[in-house]
Amino acid sequence: MMDPRLSLMLDEPQRTFRPGELLAGQFFLEGVRPEEIRAVEVSVLWHTEGKGDEDMAVHFFERIDPDLDDVVDLRQPRRLSTVLPNSPLSYHGQIVKIRWCVRVRAFFWHGKELAAEVPFQLGAVPRPQEAPV
Amino acid sequence: MSRLFRLYEKKRGGRRTGSKTVGSFGEALFFGIFFVVGCGTMAYMLVALAWPEWRANRQFEETTCVLVGKRVGSKETAEGEPVQFRPEFALKYEAAGRAREADGVYDVTNLYSSDEAGVKSVIEQFEVGKKYPCWYDPLDPQRVVLVRGYSLWLYVSLLIPLSFIVIGGGRMIYELAHWNASEERRSVLDSAAAVDWFEAEAGERHFPNVPDGSNQTNSPGTKLAYRLPISATFGWTLFAAMAACILWNALVAGFVVMVVRDIALGEPDWVMALTLLPFAAGGVWLIVYFSRQILVATGVGPTRLEISDHPLVPGMPYEVFLSQAGRLNMRSLEVWLACDERATYHQGTDTRTEIRRVYEYRCFVREDFEIPQGLPFESRCQVQVPEGAMHSFLAIYNEVSWKLIVRGHVKGRPKFEREFQIVVHPALAGQLVS
Repeated sequence: MMDPRLSLMLDEPQRTFRPGELLAGQFFLEGVRPEEIRAVEVSVLWHTEGKGDEDMAVHFFERIDPDLDDVVDLRQPRRLSTVLPNSPLSYHGQIVKIRWCVRVRAFFWHGKELAAEVPFQLGAVPRPQEAPV
Repeated sequence: MSRLFRLYEKKRGGRRTGSKTVGSFGEALFFGIFFVVGCGTMAYMLVALAWPEWRANRQFEETTCVLVGKRVGSKETAEGEPVQFRPEFALKYEAAGRAREADGVYDVTNLYSSDEAGVKSVIEQFEVGKKYPCWYDPLDPQRVVLVRGYSLWLYVSLLIPLSFIVIGGGRMIYELAHWNASEERRSVLDSAAAVDWFEAEAGERHFPNVPDGSNQTNSPGTKLAYRLPISATFGWTLFAAMAACILWNALVAGFVVMVVRDIALGEPDWVMALTLLPFAAGGVWLIVYFSRQILVATGVGPTRLEISDHPLVPGMPYEVFLSQAGRLNMRSLEVWLACDERATYHQGTDTRTEIRRVYEYRCFVREDFEIPQGLPFESRCQVQVPEGAMHSFLAIYNEVSWKLIVRGHVKGRPKFEREFQIVVHPALAGQLVS
């Protein structure tokens, strides 16, 4: 049997969105039996990078728990969609950077975890050095 | 093994090493111990002290006793610790149909105290041979007390184990609820738990992680819509300079007195005197620096900035009104628009903050002019946050902040700088100027 694999794709191949725009995509698991999956979490979030400690906030979160939900076959593509917020916009500053991404985590009963992440751009803020000083 | 468990954590660039499970377990264990200690202490205080006191007040039956003896009881303590005392009385009383005797009686708690004088004054309130009311336990008539009442200290001190229970139990529940949860799920749970009682619409914020800017719009201007508040940093700089100046110079003055006294006694300590010189020079520098700050604070009159609208949107022009008071011979007066990035990070046990200026633009300048007494200098200029620029952003460790800065240089005086925070919103569709 092949190794478990988690695939995540956004409908918008450019991965650039404006505030208030709809972000949509899909994900699916391969090489795994449905009964092996404990839960799957889908998040749309931003986090900071750079000099400072990490800040993070989740804009959209969904936990699919096969134990609680109806029978879910995560080998079939499953849709995700959310309307993006007005802020914070993606930013590539000198010591503060804000990254947006869609993240899917699959948790297995035997304890292992599989994750897939697709970064995307919210807004079009240029790098600070591009601004006139 | 190190792949399975990392007992300590390091920040390596953008990622962290270490086992979240071990970390959560350690934290849960630590607060679990807090909780257990709190519960144990609370149980002891309730069972051994509060419950007997309540029974003595509510369930004990009254009778009359004859005092046949009294003494200051004492308890042997460990070496080095003060001796403990309590009042002890011998009584004869009648309970449950027969005469009884009891010794070592006072209140139901039977606690000792280190206040010997207080205990003696209690003893003096009772006379041997006299009759007094007393109360006995109907379940055990041999148990009798001479005084009743509730001990305020007992109920106040219950707050100590209660705080252990609340802090330890609360954090333990938090850790168990977040056990093995992903960081996203933790974040969602934390956000759900963090109810902002002072901001009813926090959940529906139009611009998440952008300061609301209410502080900038709560004071109307006289010429334009809003009068911007001056940043408090100047006041803190002045206070810090004053505190450092006083503390440093007081310390140095102490040593100077010692050196001068030795010289006066004919026993000069030249090594100490020479060592003291750089410290004294530092003290003089602090006095000069503090004096300059005082000069700026008192010699330069108030600076007022008003703005035509707030919050600002990138690409949109705004009018700014500047007013500078004071009798000043100005070399220059400028208004700057600036953007700073601020990052706070932990390095070992220290918390450090780095600020980087990423944008600065001079919106206004006037050179070589005089401001007469009683007639403030007034002027207007236009500011525009560059189209597409980053909006104000505020999180726990990271921040992007915009500000207007007034910089002045008065002839013969130190330069001064005053900051006025502003909030920049992201430009939404339809707000951008082409």
